[in-house]
Amino acid sequence: MEFFSEIYSCYYQVLRHLLLNQNAMTIPEIRALIAEEGFEESMLSIIPRLESGAWNLFRRDRALYLSRLSPSFVTPLSDLEKSYLKALLSDSRIGLFLDRTQMEELNAMLTSVTPLWKPEQIYYYDRFPDKDPYEDETYRKNFRLLLRAQKNRQYVDIDYTAPNGKRVHHHYIPARLEYSVKNDKFRLIALKHTGTEKMRLYLLNLSRMQNVCPKEKTFSPSIDLNALIRSTYYKEPLRLRIVNERNALERAMLHFANYEKNTVKIDEKTYECLIYYNQSMETELLIEVMSFGPMITVLGNEKFLSLLKARLNRQMKIISRQSPPESSR
Amino acid sequence: MSDFQELIGSFPKTREYVRDFFVYGFKTRNEFKGKSPRTYDNERRRLESWLSPYVRRDYVSGGSNISLAIDSNLLDTNPLFRVWKTKSFTDNDIVLHFLILDYLQDGRKMTAEEITDGLLAEYDALFDIQTIRRKCNTYVREGLLYKEKRGKTIVYFLDNAAALWAGSQESLSDALAFYQMAGIFGIIGNELLEQFDHHNQSFRVKHGFFVHTLEDEILFALLQAMNQKFSVRLDIKSSRTAALSSTECIPIRIFISSGSGRRFLCGYVCRRRRFTCFRLDSIKRVIPVKEEAEYDVLTERLSRIHNKLWGVSFQSEGTHFLDKLSMTLQIREPSENYILSRLKREGRGGIVTKTAPNTYLYEIEVFDCNELLPWIRTFTGRILSLECSDKSVEQRFYRDLQEMYRLYTT
Repeated sequence: MEFFSEIYSCYYQVLRHLLLNQNAMTIPEIRALIAEEGFEESMLSIIPRLESGAWNLFRRDRALYLSRLSPSFVTPLSDLEKSYLKALLSDSRIGLFLDRTQMEELNAMLTSVTPLWKPEQIYYYDRFPDKDPYEDETYRKNFRLLLRAQKNRQYVDIDYTAPNGKRVHHHYIPARLEYSVKNDKFRLIALKHTGTEKMRLYLLNLSRMQNVCPKEKTFSPSIDLNALIRSTYYKEPLRLRIVNERNALERAMLHFANYEKNTVKIDEKTYECLIYYNQSMETELLIEVMSFGPMITVLGNEKFLSLLKARLNRQMKIISRQSPPESSR
Repeated sequence: MSDFQELIGSFPKTREYVRDFFVYGFKTRNEFKGKSPRTYDNERRRLESWLSPYVRRDYVSGGSNISLAIDSNLLDTNPLFRVWKTKSFTDNDIVLHFLILDYLQDGRKMTAEEITDGLLAEYDALFDIQTIRRKCNTYVREGLLYKEKRGKTIVYFLDNAAALWAGSQESLSDALAFYQMAGIFGIIGNELLEQFDHHNQSFRVKHGFFVHTLEDEILFALLQAMNQKFSVRLDIKSSRTAALSSTECIPIRIFISSGSGRRFLCGYVCRRRRFTCFRLDSIKRVIPVKEEAEYDVLTERLSRIHNKLWGVSFQSEGTHFLDKLSMTLQIREPSENYILSRLKREGRGGIVTKTAPNTYLYEIEVFDCNELLPWIRTFTGRILSLECSDKSVEQRFYRDLQEMYRLYTT
């Protein structure tokens, strides 16, 4: 089994799509598909080979290209793909997607296949233990209803227990299901109309949902979720200075990889990193920044700086109230 | 740059370029030490071509900074998967891929000679038998084709049942849309998703660390060895000093940090008679050595002690000595009960005891308390006391605290 193989390459995918098109195509039409699915310069390699006949996969009729392949062409699954699917069958979340019959059917087709990995070979050492109840039937039902509604662009009526214990009941647009690797939990990224034309973003824990009811009403496909998320960011991003000693830059870039950010090199050893965030991310981001200690310096914004300083001041007050341990300070 | 090729033959060198590009932005010519200007131009052009939708240019005095804008909470897929789809091939490779698989679609069993004749008759494609046989055997190794003996000859055939079934199950495509973002080997899920002409528009991942897909080939080799209970030789390049070294170990388990995405191999190093964790991004090559009779015993032994790890450091394991750390926190009740919840949820088995009103003691014994420091710092503002049997941990905590105080209050 090869992991890095041409059978999974972008060019093979582009060609497969060209070949499964049963209508004769012109070069401009072929170009358009390559531009959409290929790399930026793929056209420079693919078009000349089609024109010269080096890739003799089309019948030529003057300027038209007609696939030589049968319309029912299907690429068989490779051993690597089968062993991946077999491993997924042992994952605790697969039951959210496949029912028992589907799992049995897939398992039967993969009887002789060794799974690519087994759950006990992988250990997330810092994952929080209170994961979502993936085996729970109500949870599974709600998950499937939300997923179907999201794909069909249906509004959903959600009965939800808020963190303060209050039951709330609202109509939402299900925009995405968000999974947190660290919490091993799902949240719904939901939108709700405010009184005006605007939409507001909500994050709802799936495990807090009592009931989910999809509605007939559908929502517009033109909602730009990322624009909405960005509109919630503070105008002033968090500004960090990173002096690249003891791999600090690498550590910071990898650690903050899940935020929208922009890093600029200031001089040979100094970088400045802007991190964009909103109120719902603020506490987690503050905690993450504090975990680095003095390795990175917060330059702004003022609000974030004042939160950080408040914690430091509070800590120093605690320390000054106590007698210092002899050797430690 | 007439010799420019968008595709590449091998992955390891590219893995380093892409990783650097991700972390540091693209290097300038001057920083690209030991390579010719043409190599620099080609590598830069290639990376920009593969990742063009995600390349960000910031114009600063004296030129432009080029970096990657890959922010996982705004994306429906991992852009770095594109790097895995760049393997080069010959004209024959791609033509035979489609023609042989198309010719055998109906499940018929044919010899290499029959396939050769069939390609000529049906597709007007002339190949020699050896080329066809070689390609068929390659595809048998990849699992795309099967072969069996028919008398004295070998016949090849394909079985599309699994692909047809999988491609027709919408819920499986939904599962792949999720796992390509959230699970290990997401690249394989992504390739399957493409094969089924499905795209993820339903899932996002919080705490997604996309750069680690670059280690997937190493992870793949390690899991292959683990499944066969083999020891391995690892070629390692230090991320700090760039020094190269080689070591042998018995790979037992993969450790992953959900907080940083970092992945480690936990292996037993026979020469030192102890477990050690190796960062996957520092492993450059994995070579299987031999089957290990002690494999199950070592797996069991690791299971017994892994709850004494905070992270990945076995620093004191050899001495059978555990470091003890205790931290007293001020938690105002009930308004700050969420801090208490954090302590219990994130404390990895540490014991939490109420010692006085609004005062809680957290205690834990682990191999290396240095690993707790980043987590302990997140409670800054509430720490009444910190004590550790390893005094250097205490000293480092208070020294860093003073340093931070100096940074932000002067």
